[in-house]
Amino acid sequence: MARYGMVIDLKRCYGCYSCVMACKVKNHTPPGVFWARILKGEAGKYPNVVRQALPILCMHCEDPGCVKVCPTGATYLDEDGVCVIDTDICVGCKYCFMGCPYGARYAVEEWGSYFPEGLPVTPLEEFQARAFEEKSGFGVPTKCDFCADRRSFGKEPSCVAACPAEARIFGDLDDPDSEISFLIKTRRGFVLKPEVGTNPKVYYLPPR
Amino acid sequence: MTPVRPGIKEDVWIPTCCGQCYCMCGIRVRRQDGIVTEIEGNPDAPTGRGNICVKGLAGPQLLYDPYRVNYPLKRTNPRKGIGEDPKFVRISWEEALDTVVRKLKEAQEYDPRSVYFQATTTQASEIRFGVIGFMKGFGTPNYWVSGGGLHCGNGAHFMNGIMHMAWSIIPDFANCNYALNFGCSKGHGAGHSAVMNATQAADARARGGKTVVFDPFQSAQASKAWEWVPTRVGTDGAIALGLVNSLLNEHGIWDAEYLKYKTNAPYLIRPSDGRYMRNEKGKALVWDLDDNCPKEHDDPSVMRVEYEDQAHDVALQGKYVVDGVECTTGFELLKEHVKKYSPEYVEKISWIPAATISRIAKEFGEAAEIGSTVTIQTSKGPKQVPKRPVATHFFRGSQGHVNSGWTCLSIDMVNHIVGAADTVGAALGLGAAVNSGYEPTGKPYQMPYPCPDGLMVAGAWVYDHLPYPLHEPRQPQRLDLHDMFPTSIYNAITIMNDNWFDLLDQFKIPYRPKVMINFGSNSVMTMGNAEIVTENFLKKFEFIFSFQLYVTEFEEAVADIVLPDACYLERYTPAVSFPSTFSHPQGEDDWGWTIRQPVVEPLFERRDFNVVMLDISKRLGILPKYYKGLNDAVPMRYGGPMEDKYKLCEDGSQEHTWVDICDRLLKDRFGEEHGLDFVRKKGVFTWPKKKEDVYWKWFQSVRVPIYFEYFIDGGEKITKLMDSYGALGKGGPLDLDWSRFKALADWYPCPTHTLDNPEYDMHTFYWRAVMHCNSLTQQNPWLDEMSQEDPYVYALQVHYDTAREKGLKEGDKVWIENPEGHRVKGWIGLTDGIEPHHIAVAAVAGHWGEYQPIAKGKGTFFNDLVEMDRDHTDPLTLNQDICVRVKIYKAD
Repeated sequence: MARYGMVIDLKRCYGCYSCVMACKVKNHTPPGVFWARILKGEAGKYPNVVRQALPILCMHCEDPGCVKVCPTGATYLDEDGVCVIDTDICVGCKYCFMGCPYGARYAVEEWGSYFPEGLPVTPLEEFQARAFEEKSGFGVPTKCDFCADRRSFGKEPSCVAACPAEARIFGDLDDPDSEISFLIKTRRGFVLKPEVGTNPKVYYLPPR
Repeated sequence: MTPVRPGIKEDVWIPTCCGQCYCMCGIRVRRQDGIVTEIEGNPDAPTGRGNICVKGLAGPQLLYDPYRVNYPLKRTNPRKGIGEDPKFVRISWEEALDTVVRKLKEAQEYDPRSVYFQATTTQASEIRFGVIGFMKGFGTPNYWVSGGGLHCGNGAHFMNGIMHMAWSIIPDFANCNYALNFGCSKGHGAGHSAVMNATQAADARARGGKTVVFDPFQSAQASKAWEWVPTRVGTDGAIALGLVNSLLNEHGIWDAEYLKYKTNAPYLIRPSDGRYMRNEKGKALVWDLDDNCPKEHDDPSVMRVEYEDQAHDVALQGKYVVDGVECTTGFELLKEHVKKYSPEYVEKISWIPAATISRIAKEFGEAAEIGSTVTIQTSKGPKQVPKRPVATHFFRGSQGHVNSGWTCLSIDMVNHIVGAADTVGAALGLGAAVNSGYEPTGKPYQMPYPCPDGLMVAGAWVYDHLPYPLHEPRQPQRLDLHDMFPTSIYNAITIMNDNWFDLLDQFKIPYRPKVMINFGSNSVMTMGNAEIVTENFLKKFEFIFSFQLYVTEFEEAVADIVLPDACYLERYTPAVSFPSTFSHPQGEDDWGWTIRQPVVEPLFERRDFNVVMLDISKRLGILPKYYKGLNDAVPMRYGGPMEDKYKLCEDGSQEHTWVDICDRLLKDRFGEEHGLDFVRKKGVFTWPKKKEDVYWKWFQSVRVPIYFEYFIDGGEKITKLMDSYGALGKGGPLDLDWSRFKALADWYPCPTHTLDNPEYDMHTFYWRAVMHCNSLTQQNPWLDEMSQEDPYVYALQVHYDTAREKGLKEGDKVWIENPEGHRVKGWIGLTDGIEPHHIAVAAVAGHWGEYQPIAKGKGTFFNDLVEMDRDHTDPLTLNQDICVRVKIYKAD
């Protein structure tokens, strides 16, 4: 039993997309689907302007909108507080897409290919399509599960492991001595869209 | 423990080394049922320590891309050029090798120097070993790395070699408190040792380290900086000299101890000709203030090797009479010389407010904490060394101009003024210069030593020619006349004249180019204007064969045979992080010697370049010479001579496989028990780095120049030699401003700055996006997808106000066109994060080739705007100018 969360240190992050790529490769998401993303924007006016990268993923909320609206109980928080989907129960109604204020869910109807039509599917794509189907499936919502399979072998989520800036810290929010609890407390950790009241477990540390 | 999916029989992780760019981080590659499915960082490798970048992660797509070249191809359309359909047909390896060997034999009989090797810097480890070995064995000196060097290194690597015995410089992030980036994405995605530097730079930010970034746009580094100072492209040298002036003449800040004992600042200079004042023995002199007399620069009384050593005080300023001649010091001359770079003058050039330049100089000078020391634990016990927690650094952007050499030296000069070089907190040589070696074998051994004038000579280097001392300019043997230009690494003399062969006649070069061997380069796109490169240079070869991963624009235009190369996941490479250039984290981690091993056997009919070159050498009957070439390449590049028992057989009595060659190099460096079988277990061989090798400045008995006396001689020799060929005159083929060979740094404008035509009102430049390296990565579908996610990578970044004035809006398709009439197409991405007179373009994009459909039509082909001519060439280093004035207008 834990209450897993993540801290993304915007002071360390420089928007390099390693997290996005690590997630894509590890979770075999098809073209156009990213469980982890980076939003980029600008604040201010020239010359007093700064570009900011904002990595986003499923926020694994304490009071998740997606769970509330799910008619079958397919979406739920597991014993470690991770928001997961039981695809066996899911009926594919996609209410959860509207329930999620963070746009963290992705529907995949078919795998598709990165390469022009008419070519043989590459062994890599074949492997990925199969692995994606086994883990997530088609016609159902898919999203970040903090890399459940990696965690089951004692590894951090792939986005955390890859990050060159070591900007992502994964840990147990219930453990007051964990690094993430310490960082949230001491570095003014905040969540996105606090006003929607879903109590995300992904926290951000200010960029400056 | 590895998660195993049900039904999967094989699931292994193989440690090896990345090959998506030249950084070459350690990776672990997952193979499941024979398929490469995933890549992560190798925690055992100091380069990366388990972290990995977006390009490295995307590696599996390179292996399986259906557009990879899988079989040898032959051109059946004899016409060459951009836009020609090569009409490639598949042939057998036997036919391909027969043809290639026949052509090479013909060239060998004609003149072996007629064979030209062109390679890519992405495969930097191959080009330093296999390629060099073959060239030495075959007997050709003709070689280049296309865009490498001319875009990113002639100034930077050469000058860092002189000043730091290193490929590059970077702050000691762990201890640096104030870093000045001249552009320069080191620590922010691109650059060298990129992943490790990103970790270290993030640590520095978290610690409160400040970074100030001079850059025309909000680059990744600018967006993370304490302060972004928008600049005018190509003016970095002027800004740096402005800082030097401001430190010396406005704020009175300099590190006298450092300048006196670790540079040639106190050397007495003869006023008549700017040369060192020498005694009858020819020794350069300094003025001993304690004994009030001149002393030889290496007289023990005026030498201070370690910081704790005692020495007489020597004069940095003032006038002194030696043998009846009144002379002054190099420092005094520098201090006087830079006065013209007043903040107001630099403001006019760089568009940075004078007060900002003055303030940053003061902040930098104060943050240097001149006089402060720290005690480090060396192998000989605790030692006191200066702590200088400031650094300037730079890379491709600031060096890519007609003022390349002096710009690089000027930026680094800021460090040397405050003593912030190769000591704690300071600018360190990146690619790690000083190395005592793995103790049991003492290799790789890289130690500097002083020349007779006391200046630093590199003990190991990636080329045969050292950055210092300059070799004698000599009668050219090479097709690019390189022999005449000792301050240049590569040059584009072959291209910048449309009458290359007339030039060869003029310089009495008795042979012509016949065969080009291309290894991985797409030089049609990576140099400059594609048409000029193709017509002036590539089409002059009678036969071109190319080891490639894809059929690129280069093969389409000019290749006769394409050989399907194995990629980095399909081959052995015995040494990746050495020679020491791109792939060592600076600072205090272990040394790491990474290798590559195949994760899968080469797919289809792909063959490893290294193995094929052995095969070709055998067919040519030059195997023993190729072996000798490899043997000869080792001592300088890999730090120390080979033991006889590991040397490759030079008498023809024994044949070596590529695996055996890899094994021998490793055993020779690390002992019999540490051959390939040992190193492949972790993919890297590591040993502890000594602190005195990291912070070596006050442990080595060498000085670096701040007064470049020897450039005067160098320039005189070059011009004299050229004059002997009648090549000096105005309008001649090599009519460059050779007067720039002089002792003190200056800034010279690019054509971008001097163009007097208001129609071309925009400055444009290119930047390196984190998801791309060179031209290879554009075809990777995952990296393409990331590039589309990013708002800037495929766009032409234009300021909102500029677009409004010109009636342009977001997403508009536009042309940007240079004064020579070359134009490229792109679409507009509006931003506030750019100096409004600039347009930023990313990467080597805008591919048009039919065989890279993912890359095709994405982004803008910036290099097509790069003119390759004398006006865009740095006389000092022959570096190319890579900023362009353009007009921008709507495309129909």
